[in-house]
Amino acid sequence: MNRPILLAVLLSLFAATAFPPGEASALSGQPVPFSHKTHVAGNGIDCRFCHIYATRSASAGIPSVAKCMSCHRVVAAGNPSVKLVARAADEKRAIAWNRVAKLPDHVYFPHHKMVNAGVPCLFCHPGVDQAVETVQKRAFTMGWCMACHRQRGVSIDCWTCHK
Amino acid sequence: MIDRRDFLKFTGLTAFTALFGGCEKLSRTIVPFVIPPENYVLGEALWYATACRMCPAGCGTLVRISEGRAKKIEGNPKHPVNRGKLCARGQAALQGLYHPERLRQPMKLAGARGSGSYTPITWPEALAILMPHLAKIRSEAPESLLMLSGRMRGHANVVADRFMKGFGSPNRVSWEPLGHDAQLAASEAIYGIRDLPEYDLANARYALSFGGDFLETGLSPVHFGRAYGAMRQGRETVRGKLVHFGSRFSMTSANADVYFPVAPGTEGLAALAIAHVLLRDKLLPQAAGGGVWDGGLKEITPEAVSRRTGLPPSAFVETARELAGNRPAIALAGTGPATMGNGTYNLSCVALLNALAGNYGTPGGISFPDRRATLSRFGGDAQLIAPAPESGHGALRAATDRMRKGAFRVALLLEPSNPAFALPPAFRFEEALGHVPFIAAMAPFIDETTAHADLILPTSHFLESWGDDFAPMGHAGNAITLMQPVISVYHDTRAIPDILLAAARELGGPLASALPAGNFREYLANAYAGMEIPFEQALQEGGYFRMKPGPLRPLPKDAGHSMPKASEPAFAGSPDRYPFVLRLYPSNSLLDGRHANLPWLQELPDPLTTAVWRNWVEINPDTALKLGIAEGDGVAVASPAGTIRAHAVLHPGLAPDVVAMPLGQGHGRYGKFAGGRGENPFTLLPDATDAGSGSPAWQSTRVALSKVALKGRLVRFGFPEGQWKPDQFIA
Repeated sequence: MNRPILLAVLLSLFAATAFPPGEASALSGQPVPFSHKTHVAGNGIDCRFCHIYATRSASAGIPSVAKCMSCHRVVAAGNPSVKLVARAADEKRAIAWNRVAKLPDHVYFPHHKMVNAGVPCLFCHPGVDQAVETVQKRAFTMGWCMACHRQRGVSIDCWTCHK
Repeated sequence: MIDRRDFLKFTGLTAFTALFGGCEKLSRTIVPFVIPPENYVLGEALWYATACRMCPAGCGTLVRISEGRAKKIEGNPKHPVNRGKLCARGQAALQGLYHPERLRQPMKLAGARGSGSYTPITWPEALAILMPHLAKIRSEAPESLLMLSGRMRGHANVVADRFMKGFGSPNRVSWEPLGHDAQLAASEAIYGIRDLPEYDLANARYALSFGGDFLETGLSPVHFGRAYGAMRQGRETVRGKLVHFGSRFSMTSANADVYFPVAPGTEGLAALAIAHVLLRDKLLPQAAGGGVWDGGLKEITPEAVSRRTGLPPSAFVETARELAGNRPAIALAGTGPATMGNGTYNLSCVALLNALAGNYGTPGGISFPDRRATLSRFGGDAQLIAPAPESGHGALRAATDRMRKGAFRVALLLEPSNPAFALPPAFRFEEALGHVPFIAAMAPFIDETTAHADLILPTSHFLESWGDDFAPMGHAGNAITLMQPVISVYHDTRAIPDILLAAARELGGPLASALPAGNFREYLANAYAGMEIPFEQALQEGGYFRMKPGPLRPLPKDAGHSMPKASEPAFAGSPDRYPFVLRLYPSNSLLDGRHANLPWLQELPDPLTTAVWRNWVEINPDTALKLGIAEGDGVAVASPAGTIRAHAVLHPGLAPDVVAMPLGQGHGRYGKFAGGRGENPFTLLPDATDAGSGSPAWQSTRVALSKVALKGRLVRFGFPEGQWKPDQFIA
């Protein structure tokens, strides 16, 4: 066996270990088809109406079933997707949404610091307001974070984000 | 070909990525609440106050809730019993909550009784099985309903009591293996008050412990741990002294300044010998002991007691002088002497010593707070809310006899304290259960007792339940603890009072009007309406702690005490054939075995032997040498009732003719964590009781030891062989 083939074999083994399959499939397909476009662009709902913890917590939060039903008990109650949520509410069953935006475990990202500093939601989540199916369009690379932190003159200490 | 260098590089790289691949990635799903709690902010913990139910002490707790899950339990700083502290058993309550073997839905018996074979069913199906049985016997013979529960306090106990009264059956038995029958009988004999005394250890300068286990498994370990710390270090110039008389070297005796080993069952005599010296030498001039002195104390000289206890007479004389010179001095007795055949006698002697030393109602002494005064607004229910309402061992025995005679057609087992495990086989509890045509259990787990049920209704964990509690000790009789569900119910379970309320509603008639509330929370809120502090605020604080304490209960027999009736401990088996007295004690972590299914407590090292996950037999090194038994060897412990095997632990603090074993292990049907770990020491016991109170006597047999082959080994954290030299202890 020559060296390039062996290298390729070893690299693919490495890739298989480092990036287990299933990551990609988890991104698509939510338990309830949900369109940000309908809610944000169509009806002009503010992000923070549903993601209520964005100004108070590190995590912006996904709305509870009760939050969805506060409108949908009346609004679009006949929509098949809304019916899925209504059934979960009746059964007092939580909905397990698939994670879309991903940050590595070693990064601490406090939503409330950014939002309260006036960073628009769409700056990091571009196109979400127009998304029928939500996907992550921006790669959250360290260089991109640092560029903005430098530009705004805020902390670039390692421990600010890696703690 | 790749060379060795490249190969190593790639191997290293693959190993590195494999290592990080093993780290759990961010979870792929996000599960928000169905209905978020009020004032909730994602990522911030909420703390809820409730009470601990892991032992009978009734400590107050705060539970940290994060995203709807209970994550950590701490003591409630406002609670008078534990003041922010909590023991390991309390911490381990979380494992009971998330236990994989918890019953998740009702279960119907699918095989023979005791087989543990069950089919899951729904609640409507389960109630459709139970309710016709109840309705039928209610119209035909209501007294053929038996309710057997563990210890119940507070309004859960009121609901259970009203249910039975409304049903028309007087047959309610509440049984607790760690009950206080002997202490209650001793208080009654000496003070004329059938209640648990309050010990003010914190303010004592001198404490005498007679087989006391107050620091590990006694009446209220966290309260006494705190009080002991205050006695030792809480005052600038006073360091309280603790003297321990006992037949086993326990954690409390390890903390004592002086440890006097006495023969099992002679703890009471030792207390009397000290009382004798106090009166003989007029060490306490104010001690009024006339009647007692002539009533028999005169004969209990240190010399006479010396022969029985194995201690030199000087031990009693010196202790009495120290006691007289270091007031306030207090005497406490523990589980060891209480669970002898002469348990009430032992505890009465200790109570008499306190009485003669003038300890009643003084700081650093004992007292009987008027707990009923606090609860007087509950009228007739006050007695049911107060501590120690359990009906005692005698009532269980009577009910078991009647079961055999076919007196009961339906038995309700309400989280029973596992009598099928924690009673000697000679009691024949399981056989008696076989005579009841229909048994319904309400319990969170299948254990040796609930495995006999035809139907099991799964109950909620105490962290998921409403309730209230009244701690038996550690406050001035004025602290009511409230319990609230700190998380929503995790499985399809219901709390016992809720099941009873629903059953009462369905059965109708006077039963329904006796228990009018729709659910137990409503019942509780109605009961506490109009208290000094609003219910919501009390829930927030964990209870009502600001009420003015009532006065102490007056002593009906204050004028003159009488000598306790002399009683000897009885031990089954002849000394020739069974040369050693068996000393059984509740395990520091598993107690009588109720926590054996919690791995955290299984892996908690015993404070003295550092052993985990199994049981053992403590043997004096001298005795072990004569029998050819070495540290860790398999030993067969044989009594007239049976034989079990355990690993040997050589223990220099034990008398040569005594061997000791912890209770708790040897479960047959309590899940995978409890099963297959040692054998059950209860099976060695005869069906013996304390003569004075009828409570079970755990120290009631002699045993023989022999070396056997035993699979596996006893895991210990310490290095026992390195801690002492055997020849140091061999005379």
